[in-house]
Amino acid sequence: MIDVNSLCKDYTIKHKGAGLSGALKGLVIKNTDVIHAVKDLSFHIDEGEIVGFIGPNGAGKSTTIKMMSGILTPTSGSVLINGEDIAKHRKEVVKNIGVVFGQRSQLNWDLRLGETFELLKHIYRIDADAYDKTMSVMDDILGIKELLDKPVRQMSLGQRVKGDLVASMLHSPKVLFLDEPTIGLDVSAKYSLRKFIKEINRVRKTTVILTTHDLGDIQELCERLIIINHGVMMEDGNLKEITDRVAPYKTLVVEYYDEIAPHHEKCEIISHEGNVARYRFAKSDITAADIIASLSSEKAIKDVSIEEAGIDDIIKIAYGK
Amino acid sequence: MKKYLFIIKTQIIKSLTYEFNVYGNIIMQTIIMITSAYFWRALYSGRSTVEGVDADNMLTYVIISSALSVLLITNVERRIGRSVEKGTVACDMMKPVSLFWMFFAEDIGSIVALIFQNMLPILLIGSVMIKLPVMADIKDLPLFIVSVIESFLINWLIAALFGMTAFTAVNINALIQVKKHLIRLLSGSIIPIWFFPESVAKVLSSLPFVYIYQLPLSIYIGRGTRAEHMVQMQIQFIWLVILSALFFLVHNIVTRKVMVQGG
Repeated sequence: MIDVNSLCKDYTIKHKGAGLSGALKGLVIKNTDVIHAVKDLSFHIDEGEIVGFIGPNGAGKSTTIKMMSGILTPTSGSVLINGEDIAKHRKEVVKNIGVVFGQRSQLNWDLRLGETFELLKHIYRIDADAYDKTMSVMDDILGIKELLDKPVRQMSLGQRVKGDLVASMLHSPKVLFLDEPTIGLDVSAKYSLRKFIKEINRVRKTTVILTTHDLGDIQELCERLIIINHGVMMEDGNLKEITDRVAPYKTLVVEYYDEIAPHHEKCEIISHEGNVARYRFAKSDITAADIIASLSSEKAIKDVSIEEAGIDDIIKIAYGK
Repeated sequence: MKKYLFIIKTQIIKSLTYEFNVYGNIIMQTIIMITSAYFWRALYSGRSTVEGVDADNMLTYVIISSALSVLLITNVERRIGRSVEKGTVACDMMKPVSLFWMFFAEDIGSIVALIFQNMLPILLIGSVMIKLPVMADIKDLPLFIVSVIESFLINWLIAALFGMTAFTAVNINALIQVKKHLIRLLSGSIIPIWFFPESVAKVLSSLPFVYIYQLPLSIYIGRGTRAEHMVQMQIQFIWLVILSALFFLVHNIVTRKVMVQGG
């Protein structure tokens, strides 16, 4: 479906000094720096996958998405969508993809939402039946029909993002790129966006590639994660696999009746406050039941709970590398 | 083709959104037109003809020049400038259209709206307040229309070429102003270049600008013979070819270098 082959993107940026004198010097003497935003990225995505693209700010996520959707031309390497190079055949290949940028809208500020959709209908040459069908599906998921007569400039952010999502799906693309789609949205808008992504993936087998900083998005949507930092691939794999590999531990939280907590040779106490102690142990080493049995033989236990290594642990570890 | 027609239609709807902008343009154009008319009346006082043009024809020139300036409004350079500066060029690039055909269609749409919103009111105001701008020889009408179409294309190509510098320069507001006033001065839109010193006029007649305004206007008021007009139209056509070639050349270089600001 999507093949990314040793993709690189360099930016040349003008280096200007600080302050007025720096700005004036910059007019005459041009110092340029080359920044390697994306370095030798290769991966393959199959049809129907939902892939989460994560990394800290400035990691090169958006640049990669922009190259994958034909907006930026790679410095070297290639992106093949259905075997076609998007940089060479932009106009044809973009018919198969939809893009939503959380931070900018493709909707037209001066038009009503329905008019923008009509324009897209003609630009993508969508026939009337397919258009109506898509619209009714979108109305079921997002309730878009009540917004059609509203000018885009009067919409709230949540409504606008809904509009953008529908706009990107009108031509029934096989691949949908979402660049920080949930940015700035409230809880219920996030919920309907996630529902939307799941639905189109289930019903239409749309491949979805999204970048996000929202851990909830990742946990709920992504089967596969690609973590990049400084333009380099850090991790690529199933969410659970990555967790097992990067953070192969669980945390046992034990509450006692007093402030003294016994030790166990196979765990590490990572915090101990009041009556509550937290034990971290390797999943492969020992089971929680064994630890509880051994601890309770030493001291009376009031309550226990087990915490899995969360996605935030993985991200902390992966970003920290 | 059909999709570009729809872009034109959408642009017409968009242009009708902000009506106050329209009144502002009419008032501005009217002020320029009336001022020029008084200016020429004062200059012609006591003389019947200057350089083969009488005062009456000069007033026609002023009115038609004002009307023509509506047709020659381009938005492409600002459109590119804005979308590069704000990074919305990304949204333009992800559609299966060629970028510049879309910009062209948008400009056509704006102009269709402006013909009704601006050009007809200006012609009406000019006819009532100055004089009825009658064409010197109605048989020249086809020639006039062809030359206007070519001048529109030349003007658009120059604007698009200026706009493309935004892909590397990012902020081109000042450049757009320079271009606008350069065309005003050099195209004969306000002062016909036959009033310029002969050596200057000669240089200008080999540049593309006079073929934007002065050629169609000369045909309209009947200055010069038809043979002269035919020669000038050939030069106009040559400029059209040169600018088109330049446009496609730069276009191919530039779209490879698109950069998206922010995010």
